[in-house]
Amino acid sequence: MDFLHLIISATPLILAYYLTSLGHSIVEKSGVLNLAIDGVFVLGVSIAFSQAIYTGNNLLLSLSSSMLVAIVIGLFMTYIVTKFPVSHGAVGLSLMFLCYGLAGVIGVPARILQSTTGESIGYAFSPEGVEWLYSFIAIVVLGIISHFMIEKTKLGAMIRACGEDPLSAEALGVNVMMTRLIAALIGFGLMGLGAGVFELYYSRIWREGHGVGQGWIAFSISLSSGRHPILGILTSIIFGLLYEHRFSIVALGLPREFAEALPFITAILAMVIYMSTPLKRKLAPPKSLGKPFFKEERTI
Amino acid sequence: MVRFELVVVKRVKPLPRWVIPIIAFVIGTLIATTLLYFLTGGRSNPKILLDGIVNALMTPQLLLKNFALLTIVGVGLLISFKAAVWNIGGEGQFYFAIIAAAWVALFSGLGKIVFVNKFLMLILGLTAAGLWALLASLPRAFLGVDEVPVTLLMNYIAYYIVDYLVFGPWREQQYKYTRTPTLPTESWFINIPGTTLTFELLILTVVALVFAWFLLNYTRVGLMIRVMGSNPHVLRVVGINTYKVIMIALTISGMVVGIAGVSYLASEAHLITIPAETRTPALGYTGILVAWLSMLEIIYVPIAAYIVSILLTAGINIQIAGAGGFSVTNVFIGSILLIYSILVIFSEYKIKIIIKKR
Repeated sequence: MDFLHLIISATPLILAYYLTSLGHSIVEKSGVLNLAIDGVFVLGVSIAFSQAIYTGNNLLLSLSSSMLVAIVIGLFMTYIVTKFPVSHGAVGLSLMFLCYGLAGVIGVPARILQSTTGESIGYAFSPEGVEWLYSFIAIVVLGIISHFMIEKTKLGAMIRACGEDPLSAEALGVNVMMTRLIAALIGFGLMGLGAGVFELYYSRIWREGHGVGQGWIAFSISLSSGRHPILGILTSIIFGLLYEHRFSIVALGLPREFAEALPFITAILAMVIYMSTPLKRKLAPPKSLGKPFFKEERTI
Repeated sequence: MVRFELVVVKRVKPLPRWVIPIIAFVIGTLIATTLLYFLTGGRSNPKILLDGIVNALMTPQLLLKNFALLTIVGVGLLISFKAAVWNIGGEGQFYFAIIAAAWVALFSGLGKIVFVNKFLMLILGLTAAGLWALLASLPRAFLGVDEVPVTLLMNYIAYYIVDYLVFGPWREQQYKYTRTPTLPTESWFINIPGTTLTFELLILTVVALVFAWFLLNYTRVGLMIRVMGSNPHVLRVVGINTYKVIMIALTISGMVVGIAGVSYLASEAHLITIPAETRTPALGYTGILVAWLSMLEIIYVPIAAYIVSILLTAGINIQIAGAGGFSVTNVFIGSILLIYSILVIFSEYKIKIIIKKR
């Protein structure tokens, strides 16, 4: 198998990882620490699966349902952590648990229905087709648009300001709440879409607990790229390829577990490197990431 | 025109500490019950859910094991939380203790010598867990890298190390299942008849509680940890390096969590099965819930652990339309934890509705 075939077979996974990690990057650029990502991903996978079962494999409807649910959770989380002086980590992790649970409760009846009808869901990219090429064009276009949006537009400047120093941003007339909600709308929409793509174009099966840990891989991909939309393309391809072909890597004398652990190791190393080298200027995490944004009001 | 505005203001006097956890527990349970009722199309009768919880409550002898393990993990995490170092890596530390303890019992050649084996399992287990936590503390201590993603991602690295060991070198050779051989019975903790608890686990739980209480209240290290959590600038002013405090807090925290890892292996599991990332009892994560619900007070840790272990057991009792206890428990834990994380600010703040007339 040559390199092109390796890429083609991993394309749906790379697309899913890229969409999810890009969404995560945009959310965290606005200063909201997103530890709910794995829960949102698992719930999105479950929603996409059950919708596909109930609607007779209507892909568009399934993808939009999973996006919609992710957006609702994202807007809720963003509103709570911006309005009240609460811990981003605590709210994110509790939402993760809740989403894990909801994913099981929602998915299991659909799975039982599937086992009686035997209906298969999703859509497999054909190895001879050009879907993989369209996917990569979509990835690159999305990456360039997101990069342009974050770096060059007013909205992007507002999002970055909310991540670096929300109090000063507010003083300069930025509506921090509204900006973060917009970032969450875009970011969690992308995450939900990524989860849907993962289920409908990549795994196409479901059982209780399906997708747990994949959200953290996307999280690591985003952190490894320093939350940069263009660098994210590169890290998504590397880790997508590694994960898809983790069983073939054994032939190179490396254990499969090494390929599985590599995204996490790289993410930690990347965080260390981005904090300690001149890359800090562009790739370090936003300064106020995860810090409560709260203007103390006087008791009236 | 009249406009309403919600404003968060500080209370003159904070609420008593026990109020918020109880309110969060009640509201969270109600939300979880409602969510489950509607999502399953009425198949999960709230009565069945509440019966499951009451049943768990009425059989305390069955929850003791989870209660003890959760108390240890909760106390361990609390030590680092007190220093405002958020150790989300309990899972990794838990598994590193298991790796070291399993090595002692299976491969050191000392696994069948009574007293020596359990002693060594604890010593090496705690050392391994402590070192894993120490490793996680270095980026935060020296570079200011946020410890939350670091400890979290290291959990997955730990899972894959376990997977590697059990899939490869440590695999049992008899049936070639993806698990280690069973530990020699000499290394098993001794069961207390009629319960799920073991004698050693009971002793270790008390030791962990007393150790943490003594450490935080009566030692120099404990004082540094508490000051680090409330005002790190004070430490710098009096000439104490904050990086040392971060490293010490996280290492001790990891070692205490390691006690739970060793106990879990020797009391209940007796062997390691893989894939670790799906076979974990997730005590490293549920322990976070325990530490948070305790309001970071050691005396409340056992109470919080008891409540959470009721939920864990109730989840096993309740099986809705095939959705296993795993999902149901997570809905409960998620709702309670979420409501608590939000409400906890209202012990110091309150919401005022301001009516503006224009």
